[in-house]
Amino acid sequence: MEEYLISFDNLKKIVDGFIKEGSDVISISKNGDRFVRLEKSDDIILNPEQRPSDISAKEFLFPRTEPIFFYCKQKESVEIIDKEPQKRQVLVGLKPCDAASLGIMHRVFNWDYRDEFFNRRYDNTLIIGLACKYVDDYCFCTSVNISPTSTRGSDLFLIPLSDGRFVVQVVTDKGKEIVSRNSQMFEKADPDSGKAVIDSIKGPQKKFDSKKVKEWLDKNFETDLFNPIGDICLGCGQCAFVCPTCHCFDIVDEDYRYGEGRRMKNWDSCQFYLFTLHASGHNPRDTQAKRYRQRVNHKFKYYIDRFGEILCTGCGRCSRGCPVAIDIGGIVTRIENLT
Amino acid sequence: MADLISIVKGILESKKVDVVVGYTRATSPNRTRPIVIRNASEADALVIDSSCLNNLATYLTRKENKGGKVGIVAKGCDVKAIVQLIVENQIKRENVYIIGVKCNGVKKGFEVEDSKVLSEKCLNCNVKTPHLYDELVEMGSDNLSGKDEKAELIAKLEAMSPQERFAFWEKEFEKCIRCYACRQACPLCYCERCIADKSMPRWVETSATKRGNFAWNIIRAFHLSGRCIGCNECERVCPAGIPLSLLNRKMAMVAKSEFGYESGMSLDAPTLIGTYDVKDKEDFIK
Repeated sequence: MEEYLISFDNLKKIVDGFIKEGSDVISISKNGDRFVRLEKSDDIILNPEQRPSDISAKEFLFPRTEPIFFYCKQKESVEIIDKEPQKRQVLVGLKPCDAASLGIMHRVFNWDYRDEFFNRRYDNTLIIGLACKYVDDYCFCTSVNISPTSTRGSDLFLIPLSDGRFVVQVVTDKGKEIVSRNSQMFEKADPDSGKAVIDSIKGPQKKFDSKKVKEWLDKNFETDLFNPIGDICLGCGQCAFVCPTCHCFDIVDEDYRYGEGRRMKNWDSCQFYLFTLHASGHNPRDTQAKRYRQRVNHKFKYYIDRFGEILCTGCGRCSRGCPVAIDIGGIVTRIENLT
Repeated sequence: MADLISIVKGILESKKVDVVVGYTRATSPNRTRPIVIRNASEADALVIDSSCLNNLATYLTRKENKGGKVGIVAKGCDVKAIVQLIVENQIKRENVYIIGVKCNGVKKGFEVEDSKVLSEKCLNCNVKTPHLYDELVEMGSDNLSGKDEKAELIAKLEAMSPQERFAFWEKEFEKCIRCYACRQACPLCYCERCIADKSMPRWVETSATKRGNFAWNIIRAFHLSGRCIGCNECERVCPAGIPLSLLNRKMAMVAKSEFGYESGMSLDAPTLIGTYDVKDKEDFIK
């Protein structure tokens, strides 16, 4: 992989260039709770020790709410007005667990149907990843084929050096183009100049073997394992909504004037009772334990069956933020121990 | 004063209750989580300390628990919720066995900084020893202290013009992702079908837009006026960090100043919305 060196100041200059050309630049907010659009490059925070934001960056590719089209009923017809195309955006400082998530979601949005909304954003997005030095009880990226220094999902990947500069790994052609367009900002790096830093980052200890977890899930759809979780789970959608890979959505029409309105695509969660409630009144997932089973199976079995990928990047957000401290890493570890 | 674990074992063995809802240690040792205990042998997992933040009364109205007798570990604020649920005819007093906790205040949250600070709701607590219980246990003291920043913010909001206040809430509600964690954590949000989930017709827009978010958050607040007991779980669980306690506390302040009413304090007091007094102020009729 090609590697360069860049100073923080030069990095900011490149970001200012993005803002000037009209791109949205997105980075973590000052208090670290979410990702926000930046007005100026000085607001960029690149802190590898930062805790993952409370809410992931997925909403910039898959917004919590988005109009698919606007409609206006005429006398004998309906006029459909399409949404304006998406502008270019740059996500700066994504942790490996966040950067990887976007490619994982890309699979489901390009399967039996190509979701033009996700894809338009995906194609118009440049991702600058940042090595991660944060670990807490809820991190488990190393158990789901990701590491604090994995470049997956990033176009450019930054490794912070002790002198304040960054090693820039060029991961994709999109990233390469940025380097060649701003070549005067980059210095050629010695091979493996980031190696010492990479080697020093331990990352979370591996908690479970995802293959063994899947083997158990393959054989144990009917199980008591999720009952104690069903007992305490409140059935809020916090876990799904802060998750960087959860991608379920609901479609609703909203009339905002008589005969005029919009069709909206809104986040949804399998933890809601309403999610599987049939019009007949029957609900196949009628208990919270069944709904939690779905969450675990979707992430560690169904998605692997269909796309060969785990639908989880081990960021720990769902568990860190859970009102009742349900810890998915701990539950999956318990499953592994049952095999 | 007996200890928690032996009380729980006792009431399960003597079949005084079918289940007990309490707290146990979570993955992170500085956190606790709720646990439902059905056999006396599981009771050893119970803990009680200043990291027991959840208001477990929210489990009392669950369909699964209806009809049975439930033992519940409850701090004073949680007991307020239990009292309110009894007053609102959602549960029967004889079906709850309250293991009251003499509480010295709980942590603000589980993040490193928050865990060193006393929760704001504890600063003016009037139920450190619960006002209703069947057994009483004690919680150790961590000598936490904190500052009531929200009281200052409420005063600031009161001084604002309606336009400024609207702008303030517009900015806060913009953050809402409509996960409904506030509703699910609330012990007094027990409607079998929430108006936000009704789609024929759709009353509240599910979109996380300005209009949808205003509609949801204001309806939630209205539904709790004169009912919210101030456990502050909605605010604690909000992943978007919306200061919901500002709304809840302001409503409670009005209930107190206008009607001398405090929810969740007495089994004999009628609900604020469900009663009237000829001496009620009528100066709002102009």
